[in-house]
Amino acid sequence: MKRRDALRSLALLTGGLVLVPSCDFSKEDILSAYQNLQITPSLKQLLADIADTIIPPGNIKGASDLSVQDFILVMVNDCVDENGQQSFMKGLQGFGDFSKKTKGQAFSNLDTGLKEELILAGLTTEDEKEKDIRSFLGNTKRFTIQGFMLSEYMQTEVKPYSLIPGDYQGEVLIADLKTERING
Amino acid sequence: MANFNIDAVKERTFQAIVIGSGMSGSWAAKELCEHGVKTLVIERGRDVKHIKDYPTTNMLPYEFEHRGQIPLEVQKENPVVSRCYAFREDAQHFFVKDKEHPYVQEKPFDWIRGYQVGGKSLLWARQVQRLSDFDFEGPARDGFAVDWPIRYKDIAPWYSHVEKFAGVSGNRDGLPHLPDGEFLPGFPLNVVERYFQDQLKTHYGDSRQMILARCAHITGNLDYYAEQGRARCQSRNLCQRGCPFGGYFSANASTLPWAESTGNMTMRTNAVVHSIIYDEEKGKATGVRIVDTQSKEMEEYYADAIFVNGSALNTNLMLLNSTSSRFPNGLGNDNGLLGKFVAFHNYRARVSGEYHGHLEYTTQGGRPTSGYFPRFRNVLKQETDFLRGYAAGFSANRGSYSDQSGVGMDLKENLLNPDKYGPWRVGSHMMGETIPKESNYVALDPNQKDEWGIPLLRVNVDYDDNDEKMVKDYLEQMTEMFEKAGFTNIQTRDERKAPGLDIHEMGGVRMGRDPKTSLLNANHQLHAVPNVYVTDGASMTSTATQNPSLTYMAFAARAAHHAMKNMG
Repeated sequence: MKRRDALRSLALLTGGLVLVPSCDFSKEDILSAYQNLQITPSLKQLLADIADTIIPPGNIKGASDLSVQDFILVMVNDCVDENGQQSFMKGLQGFGDFSKKTKGQAFSNLDTGLKEELILAGLTTEDEKEKDIRSFLGNTKRFTIQGFMLSEYMQTEVKPYSLIPGDYQGEVLIADLKTERING
Repeated sequence: MANFNIDAVKERTFQAIVIGSGMSGSWAAKELCEHGVKTLVIERGRDVKHIKDYPTTNMLPYEFEHRGQIPLEVQKENPVVSRCYAFREDAQHFFVKDKEHPYVQEKPFDWIRGYQVGGKSLLWARQVQRLSDFDFEGPARDGFAVDWPIRYKDIAPWYSHVEKFAGVSGNRDGLPHLPDGEFLPGFPLNVVERYFQDQLKTHYGDSRQMILARCAHITGNLDYYAEQGRARCQSRNLCQRGCPFGGYFSANASTLPWAESTGNMTMRTNAVVHSIIYDEEKGKATGVRIVDTQSKEMEEYYADAIFVNGSALNTNLMLLNSTSSRFPNGLGNDNGLLGKFVAFHNYRARVSGEYHGHLEYTTQGGRPTSGYFPRFRNVLKQETDFLRGYAAGFSANRGSYSDQSGVGMDLKENLLNPDKYGPWRVGSHMMGETIPKESNYVALDPNQKDEWGIPLLRVNVDYDDNDEKMVKDYLEQMTEMFEKAGFTNIQTRDERKAPGLDIHEMGGVRMGRDPKTSLLNANHQLHAVPNVYVTDGASMTSTATQNPSLTYMAFAARAAHHAMKNMG
């Protein structure tokens, strides 16, 4: 029992980098934190790169600074149905080929503009053969936005969340609202 | 809680036993204890102490692993409770999981339960509207169910009593069919809600009104509530987590600590009631048999007066399971009607729309309530092809949003600076009265038992033709009112959800004047066993359209005083 707890703590600390016993050393290990998905460290890195393209770093931290990829995987693992999970995995695994086919290169070698073009193309493709790419990117974008906006960093440092939002005002002139623009 | 293993009758004897520590039970306990009555409160669930046992109350959104969402695996295991709007990551620990407490659905019925000290008073939507004589006289006027044995004048002082202590915010609207009460200052309606009020006045005169819903939140008289350790509502809108300010009424924040402070209350948690003990020689109930949820041992407690406040359907279950040779079909059930004439509120339909006026305005801050349409159908006389009518919620909302269509820096800038405003969104949901019928009933399963040896409850409750007509009328009438107010993109929806999800199940142990056709008298005593009182939803003769908790609280307080008079 204690050993299991220790392993679990270790898994949490390392983002799930605990080895699932395997005798085939030619293959990458599967991260055990996401038991419904078959995520290898390199797939997770690809996901982080995609999330970082969706919300890049700048004045304000970007998606991978906030480890949004961990959140995406937790949500897909726990809150997406089996079909969605399969589509997500097929899309993630096929994304490298999609990049080569569409842009002629691996995703990591593309410059920012081409990365964005590729993701937008994948999000909007009507090609039935790419439906897993579309579904994968759709979920990834949705959870990237959610993970970014509802991150500790955003809710404490950038746009502090208030547990006490204040008295209700039912007639506020929008023109009177003074909101300072946040430069991303 | 110590020394329950001392097996002495004296140690197990109290002046009163209250079964259930929620909305109505806690009120019975508070009144009894405050007046010196040694009271045992029996609760089937665990203890939940105010503040201390609200683990999520001050958690920030990012502290919830799934940002509030319930994982699919939990939903699959618990399909019924997963349909409840408040079953989210922040409050899931206060809900009964389907798997742990099975029941039998002869017809689909979503039974939402909260098994803990405080019951569902931690989770309720806190809307508190009084019934009026247009409700109490309804069955007699319209020829259904049986006549209520009480009228508004009997309960009005108890409404006041309860409202004052619980704290109710609202406006004095002067409506005979939704009487005013002891109100603390109301929350504001917003500019579009007020516009809609004016439009209703223009098009319907005073025959249809939308008012601020009265809610059990503290907005004034703060010194008075400080005595309960409660403070002003902070508009957090996180009520379902338990409120660290005690800003809304819950048994945990209000009535139970008050009762406890008298030194007269003993709380017995983790105790499922098996049955009420009936003594044939004495001709009255003498106590309660419980099963300890952990040890599974049966124990008995004794008292002169017994209050059954287990929530409507569980109260039915307990009485049905309290059999003796005098009452082979359940306690007080001489007429065979126990468990029958169960009813609920029809929450099936919604209407939504947009309003493109007042676009220079938005709202800020939080508000724990909304607008409310008191019933306007068949109030003064029968005027439609269905009986009774519906109340309705109404609210208008507007907030800023951002364009999320792109990716990259543009998307990030948009997310950080949500400066777009769409039209106002307006929405309404119906709260229909349903007609109690003998064919809507609960009964004990003859074979299946739960892990404590209590028979499973079989629920056989369904909509009828009157409900269908009422849904149609609500959708038509609300659409008409929206159109007259200039709302656009009006969408109507009949969600066809199962009964139960309204969480307003009622009846089965109804009040009435005649022991042949009812179970309880005007004082909430079982006709046949007058030292047993039922003052929760089970006692409702008809459902009216109002959110019923306030009425149960007033019933419990009133019945407790009746019992004390008899104790001498």
